[in-house]
Amino acid sequence: MRRRARIAIAGLALAATMCGQQVSYERLVNALKEQQNWLTYWGDYSAVRHRGLNQINTGNVKDLRVDWIFQTGQTGAFETTPLVVDGIMYITGTDGYAYALDARNGRKLWMYKHTFPQGRKATAVNRGFAILGDRLFMVTPDANVVALEAKTGKLIWQTEMAAYNRGQYTATLAPLAIKNKIVVGISGAEYGIRGFIDAYDAETGKRAWRFWSIPAKGEPGGDSWAADSWERGGGSTWLTGTFDPVLNTLYWGVGNPGPDLYGESRLGDNLYSCSLVALDPDTGTLKWHFQFTPHDIHDWDAAETPMLLDLNWRGKPRKLVVQANRNAFFYVLDRETGEFLMGKPFERQTWASGLDDKGRPILTKDALPTEDGLRICPGLGGGGNWMAPSYNPETNLFYFALFEQCEIYYSNPPLYIQGRPYWGGVSRSAPGEEGWGLLKALDPLTGETKWDFRFFRPSWVGTLSTSGGLIFGGDEDGSLIALDARTGKNLWHFNTGARLVAAPITYLVNGRQYVAMPSGAALLAFALPEPDR
Amino acid sequence: MRYLPMAALLLYPAWGQTELDVAQGKGIFRNNCAFCHGLTGSGGRGPSLISGRFLHGSTDEDVKNVIRNGVPGTTMPSFDFETAEIDHLVGYLRTLAGSAPKSAPVPGDPAQGRQVYLRNGCSSCHRIGMEGSVFGPELTRLGASRSPDYIRESLLNPSADILDDYQGVTVVARDGKRTGGVRINEDTFSVQLRDVSQNFRIFQKDEVREVIHETKSLMPAYNSLSQEDLQNLLAYLVSLRGDVNAGAHVNKPEGVR
Ligand code: HEC
Ligand code: HEC
Repeated sequence: MRRRARIAIAGLALAATMCGQQVSYERLVNALKEQQNWLTYWGDYSAVRHRGLNQINTGNVKDLRVDWIFQTGQTGAFETTPLVVDGIMYITGTDGYAYALDARNGRKLWMYKHTFPQGRKATAVNRGFAILGDRLFMVTPDANVVALEAKTGKLIWQTEMAAYNRGQYTATLAPLAIKNKIVVGISGAEYGIRGFIDAYDAETGKRAWRFWSIPAKGEPGGDSWAADSWERGGGSTWLTGTFDPVLNTLYWGVGNPGPDLYGESRLGDNLYSCSLVALDPDTGTLKWHFQFTPHDIHDWDAAETPMLLDLNWRGKPRKLVVQANRNAFFYVLDRETGEFLMGKPFERQTWASGLDDKGRPILTKDALPTEDGLRICPGLGGGGNWMAPSYNPETNLFYFALFEQCEIYYSNPPLYIQGRPYWGGVSRSAPGEEGWGLLKALDPLTGETKWDFRFFRPSWVGTLSTSGGLIFGGDEDGSLIALDARTGKNLWHFNTGARLVAAPITYLVNGRQYVAMPSGAALLAFALPEPDR
Repeated sequence: MRYLPMAALLLYPAWGQTELDVAQGKGIFRNNCAFCHGLTGSGGRGPSLISGRFLHGSTDEDVKNVIRNGVPGTTMPSFDFETAEIDHLVGYLRTLAGSAPKSAPVPGDPAQGRQVYLRNGCSSCHRIGMEGSVFGPELTRLGASRSPDYIRESLLNPSADILDDYQGVTVVARDGKRTGGVRINEDTFSVQLRDVSQNFRIFQKDEVREVIHETKSLMPAYNSLSQEDLQNLLAYLVSLRGDVNAGAHVNKPEGVR
């Protein structure tokens, strides 16, 4: 069994190397056919994060062990998702660092360090690269998009996305390469920005289009903001979107409105905050939008992965987009039209008595933060969050990490100072109630839970699904784990020694399957022991 | 809190702060300080800030210094505020300062209170300086870090607020044997306790029957002390303002000979 899997996969690897290093748009469209590689942040455009590799499987995962470690020496949360292209691994670190590594042993091939103009804050997490042609693309803590030569790590172009404004604007996500464009989003809703999604020409770095996630007065949706509140309306676009090449549509989750926890100054639905927007990737034109949490005052952004699935919906094949939202509901929409099909809570929640037939929440009387504090479930961190989900076509289940927690939410009028937090409140864990993480297997057609694996503390770790019948995940305490995809039984765990905040990936080099995961300042690569050595 | 209309921007005569400034100062206090000092500043896991008495000095500059630098060695953190933020914050604190009746220093005899402390076996769980047990929290600086009301509640109803680092856990072994203690660490797969004899007790969760997180404090409630004993004990506990590093030896270089 194991030998057969190896041979089949080695064939694939050979086919891929023959194409050379050029990562064309066609290769990105067909990324799932290159099981040995990991070509985009989510692994492919649809974000299923499932790989057909089965060398590591339910039978032998107990023997999985660290094969190599790469130490970046950088402090801060290490949130990168590595790209692996034909034996070379590309990772971004914190604070504007990036590296190319030999994916077999972690030996460094080059390092890049972003140059910060004097006086600029140089600290922020980064979630990874996009690759297109012979170039890599990343964003920086001071909100630049940077293009590097994949061979050398040399800077080719650099474009500022927004005026620095005392660190108000930052960027942390992995860009998305589509055709000849590099699509990125922005962070900073906590600081009173007005969010947007941008596309840059991969060749020149010139901006091709901008979609404002917060419409201005007079624009469609602009009347969903009281007075001039749209100017600091937030709506970060801080996680990578997904893309359907056939429908030629880009899907992107928009963050919370600002100030986060105070709504009095921005009455209205506050479009397109807490929404999924569907855009034309060539022009940035809005095709449709769906708002999960109108006029949010809980920081429940909708940045979470919009995963694209083609399933039999009520007996008919349908193109869907699904999301485990921070507001504790799992949503299924038609991704051609944006039509709401289903929304079901996946954990304790106290804010909505249900959703109406358009998917708009019906608020309970205890839904909104107050000046003296109100206990609301889920907590500010969700629900779902940046933890990447996965979908296994063999079990037909959707696997994701979530935070099961209730908090006391306080709301108060904020003071605006450029570059300073503009929250309008705070949340605290409810006394005597500890939150915990769950890794949940859910049927995306019904929203029903198949099984849960409970962590002691939260899990900020994405999931990875493989044909070895495994789901990988992890937790705040640093444990990387493998579960049986069908039962949720824990088959392996390893204490990596630092808080985990990224998502594991898997790849294959030289016939050997690896699982890679950032932890602390290190990138760890796991593999089975080689019997013949 | 309603959004304040412009008409409300009247000057607060005493502090040069507008009503909106004070409202924002209140917001800053609630978002950053209330967690320890209480929603109204009357104390909790930090001292009361409304008694009008400040251990670290009571001028605006003194208070701002504490906020900017924290109190090293204690849980009082340092804050990196902008001038406007700290002004509004201190402006708000000043509106609180007069709000409590100037409480008399806690009545009672601290020397008698120390005897109550020793007689009731407190030191079998607590340390003052280097004396006593490390099972419960150290009380060396208790009087500086907690309000008298909070300390009273800690004695009469300890379960009302259990410190995060002193969560009680009971592990039930496969054979039914129970081991209780303070949780030192825990993750998905293991738990580490300190028992009342001050020993570490270490368990893998898949090797035991059950791990129970106690909702009651490991500190017994002392609600049958006489009124006099309680008052003296409180006076003693409030007087504890020792240096957290007292008892440690700090050796200086001996110099060039
Ligand atoms: C994590 C808990 C915690 C937080 C949060 C906290 N404090 Fe404190 N604070 C303390 C403790 C404990 C002390 C007592 C320190 C000592 O032992 O001297 C203290 C002391 C102080 C003092 C000195 C009191 C005196 O008697 O001189 C001031 C003033 C103060 N805090 C203000 C603030 C303000 C303002 C904030 C928010 C910006 C804040 N604190 C946030 C725990 C906290
Ligand atoms: C069996 C052990 C035990 C004994 C005996 C004991 N305590 Fe405690 N005490 C604890 C533990 C454990 C905690 C922390 C748990 C909590 O917060 O409730 C605590 C908490 C406290 C606190 C709160 C400390 C803080 O920093 O907020 C005070 C004050 C205190 N004890 C005083 C006393 C006094 C006075 C006595 C004797 C009259 C005493 N304790 C006897 C175990 C004990």
